[in-house]
Parts: sequence; structure tokens; C-alpha cells
Amino acid sequence: MSPTDRQTLDPQRVQQALVCMLFDPSYEARIRGEEAVAEIAAAERELLRKLDPRALRTDPMRRPRAVQAILEEYPVSAALLGVPTVDAYFASTHFREAVFKRGSMALAFADYLGDRARGVGRIEAAMARVRRPRDAVRSGIGCGPRVAPLIVPRGSLAWYQEGRARLGADPLQALAEQSRPWRRRPPRGGAEHLLVEGGEDGSIAIGGASEALVRLLLAAVDPGPKSALIDAACRLGAEPAEAEELLGDLLGDSLLMIYR
Amino acid sequence: MPDFLDRAHDLPKLGLGISTEYGARRRDGALDPAALRRREPSYAGFLEVGVELAKGLDDDALAWAAAGLPTTYHFLDINLDEPEDFDDAWLAQMGEAVATLRPAWLCGDAGLWHFGARDRGHMLLLPPVLVDESVAPMAEGIRRLRDYTGLEVLPENPPGSAFVGELHLLEFFAKLAEAGDTGLVLDCAHLAMFQRSRGLPPLTAFDGFPWERVIELHIAGGREGQVDGLGWVEDDHGVDVLEDTWTITQAAIERAVNLRAVVVECERNPLDAVLPIFAAARERLPVAFTSAAATSPSTPAQARR
Repeated sequence: MSPTDRQTLDPQRVQQALVCMLFDPSYEARIRGEEAVAEIAAAERELLRKLDPRALRTDPMRRPRAVQAILEEYPVSAALLGVPTVDAYFASTHFREAVFKRGSMALAFADYLGDRARGVGRIEAAMARVRRPRDAVRSGIGCGPRVAPLIVPRGSLAWYQEGRARLGADPLQALAEQSRPWRRRPPRGGAEHLLVEGGEDGSIAIGGASEALVRLLLAAVDPGPKSALIDAACRLGAEPAEAEELLGDLLGDSLLMIYR
Repeated sequence: MPDFLDRAHDLPKLGLGISTEYGARRRDGALDPAALRRREPSYAGFLEVGVELAKGLDDDALAWAAAGLPTTYHFLDINLDEPEDFDDAWLAQMGEAVATLRPAWLCGDAGLWHFGARDRGHMLLLPPVLVDESVAPMAEGIRRLRDYTGLEVLPENPPGSAFVGELHLLEFFAKLAEAGDTGLVLDCAHLAMFQRSRGLPPLTAFDGFPWERVIELHIAGGREGQVDGLGWVEDDHGVDVLEDTWTITQAAIERAVNLRAVVVECERNPLDAVLPIFAAARERLPVAFTSAAATSPSTPAQARR
């Protein structure tokens, strides 16, 4: 049964819709309009429609603050796409999904970004992921919670690093002064294999790795049985005995972890 | 377990106190809690420490606690009605902060402290949806936190400009206190905002409110603003306390027979600028309320955990 059919009133859903209204006048207009809104029930919508529209505009800096939080994590992608594209995220279904499904707006931004910033966007998305080590939902062996393996177009890391340097010591200021998105685009061909690793202290290291290692870690993004990872290692060229040893080494290096 | 009104007799009398949160004193000239206590001990009988665990406790809070002075713990990062918010990592961190501060009780706005998951850029504060359906999940969160810490957990009426739902704020918190078997923090400035937003006189719905459950009051300055002709009040904790707030404070003091603590929330202002607010608060309180607390030793409640 969809929320719109429900007779019961869920205060959390009302509050989630209210948050979206506070960030996005176009969503507020939908709530007040006639068009169906799938995520909330009629009774919930009715409560929200009774609000004085002016009461939603007492904090004009709410959305700019949220935009700033995204710019801090995706500065090079923002320079490529332009700040207005980042701002438009807050009127997207990706943002609303993060609100309604207890997600992270920084991680949902990666979905909104898609491949528009190519490898650079994926590098910044991976950095956002390792800042937020997630709890494993399954037991088994999986990637360390602060490890993100990546395959991006060749030359993406160097492009990202140059872009980041171009934004200087104060990327927010640089983005505020940017009159239009960068014209030069990141690479799109070939492949580069990277590991993004986060530290407990908030530091992040990004470096190249062998294709086999990155592909093995990609196979371990969701934890699973050891046998599945040994099979994956063998498919990538390891002998069974080597595969066993390799897994031991990766566990020792915290690139893999046992989730119970 | 005895019900709250029996348990309330064991809560310490903290008197008049001040609030702080992480980094509050970074602003030039902002209030130094220790300096206020040296200057006028009866104004700083305890420190209410606002805690967002992702930020931790700052030097002022740690020094106050290390001196064995009384505190209360004001949470700034838990949506009481969301079971997912009570994750193991948050509970463990909160337990450590409680062990450090040894607060007399926990309190905090019973509202939406963050949207989505607890994450960077997600923090805000919205009042609860004022409908009957909001009461039970929030009461469950209060009981859960109380069971975990062994300390009383007192919900506070949050500020806001957009209040959703038909219940009066006081009616909602009366129901919440009953369902959670708990006491209340009444923020007089927040209530003044609500009454104005509904076009009601400051003391509306005072009759029938369970005043015996009110353990703590908050007094704070507010800044009046307008959006397209709509008047509203920003909860800026400045030095200009609205007349409505004082009206509510006075009436609350007269009714709250179990009152243990009054906080003047003014953490980012210079000491000399806030002294008149403390003086005005003290004038409204019984003499014994502040004099006893100023000389009493730290009396943190014993955690049951």
C-alpha cells in the first residue's frame, strides 16, 4: 500500500516532507497543488497545506548552508558543473530520497551527479563514502569500512589533483567567484585503478593500485563468504593457495575486514 | 519504579545556571562560565552543557566538570522518536560524555535535530508534529534513554516558526510527559514564539498544564523579524528578552512547585551584557532558590546503569 492510500498518520513522514518543503519551494508548491504526491498520505499532506507559506521562509540561509556542505565535499565536481547545478540537487528526487529514507545527502549527491563529472565525480564520491564508514548489513569478509576501490578513466586522479590545486586554499571562495563552469573536461577513455582510504583522523589517501587488487576489493564491497572471495581471486589469476595467502595479507592491511 | 512525581523529590536543586555548547566562547567577548561564577556565584549554580557528540565537549565544559561543579546534559543530536537514532556508537559516546559530566539529568528539545541519517550538514531543529500520533514514539525514546543512562530525561519544547498539527504545544508536552512518565523543561522563549505564531496570548493553555512536572525553565533573548508581513521570533539567545517571555517565566515560576533549575541561555554574549538578565531572573525567583544552590556541593544523580 502506498503512503497516499494510508489512513494512518505518520508524523515522521510529515516531518520529512516538511524538511523537503523548507529546502525546496518547488516541492512546497507540489504539496500545496493538486498533483498527486506519492510519498505522503492525504491526511499528512493536509496538515502541511495548512502552514502559512511565509513561516517556511524565515531562514533564507538554510539551502545555501546545505549547498556549502556539498561544495566542501565535491569542490572539483562543482567547478566542473557550476554551483547552480549543485543548488538544483536540493530540488531533486535524490535529495528527497535521502530525507525520506534516512540517507546521507552527501552520498545521495553522488547518485545525482551520476557520470556528469566523470572520474573526478567518482573520486569525490568515494572520498565522501570513506568519511562515513557504514555498518555492514551482512556477515562475512568485506572491504574495510574506510576503503573504496575505484575504476575511473585513465588520468582522472591527476586531473582531480590539478583541479583541486586550481581551486586553491579556499575552494569555497574560488567557487563563489567562478563565473561559469570549467570548459576543460576530465578524461573519459582508458582505465585507472585507485584505492581511496580514509583514516580515523579524517585524513584521506588516494593512490593507484593493481587492477587485480581493485577488482578483488570491488568483489568484496558487500561482505560475503570467504570462499566467494577466493573464487574471485582465482578468476583474477591467483592460484588457490596464493588466494588464501592474499586474503590473509589484505585482512592484515585492513583493506579487508571480517564482519560478524 | 516509582512514578516521576515521586522520583522528582530526589532531583537536586540546581538554582540559577547558564548554558554552553561546543565552541560557544570562540566569539570575541563571549561569556566565560567560570568568570560568571567567580563574579556572581548565584548566577552560575550549574552549567547546562549542550552536547552534539560529533563535536564532543569543549574545554569550558571539561573544566567545569573536572572542578566537580553541577551540570545538566542537553542533547543536541537525537531524534527521540527514531529508534534508528539510538545506535550503539552514539549510545557509547553519549555514555562517555555522561560519565565525564556527571549531570543531574538529561534534557533537550523533543524535536527533529537532523534529517536523514545523523550526518554532516543534516543538523537543524524543528518542533514535533503536534498530533496525538507523535506522542508514543517520542515517549518510547525518552524511556529508552532513561533506561540506558539511569538518569531522568526531560523533554523541552523546541523553538520554531512553522508548527504543524492542531494540538497546542503545552497540550502536546503534557501528553508526552504523561506517556513518558517524565518531567519537563519549559523553554519560556520558545513558548512565546509558539503563542505568537498561533496569534495567542502568552499564557494560553496554562490551565490544565501539569506544572508539577516542570523541573527546569529556560529564559533567552529573541530577535523579532518579519517575512512578508508575518512576524516571527528568532531564538538568537541574545540579550533582548521579549516581554512575553518574562510574562511566561513569571507565571511558570508561580506554578512550577517542583522547579529545580532555571537556565539563562546567553552563551555568546559578553558577561557585562548578560548580568541584567540574570538579575531579572533572580528577582522573580524565591530567595532560597538561588542562595541554597549557590552554596550546595555537586549532587549528581546516581546512574543506575
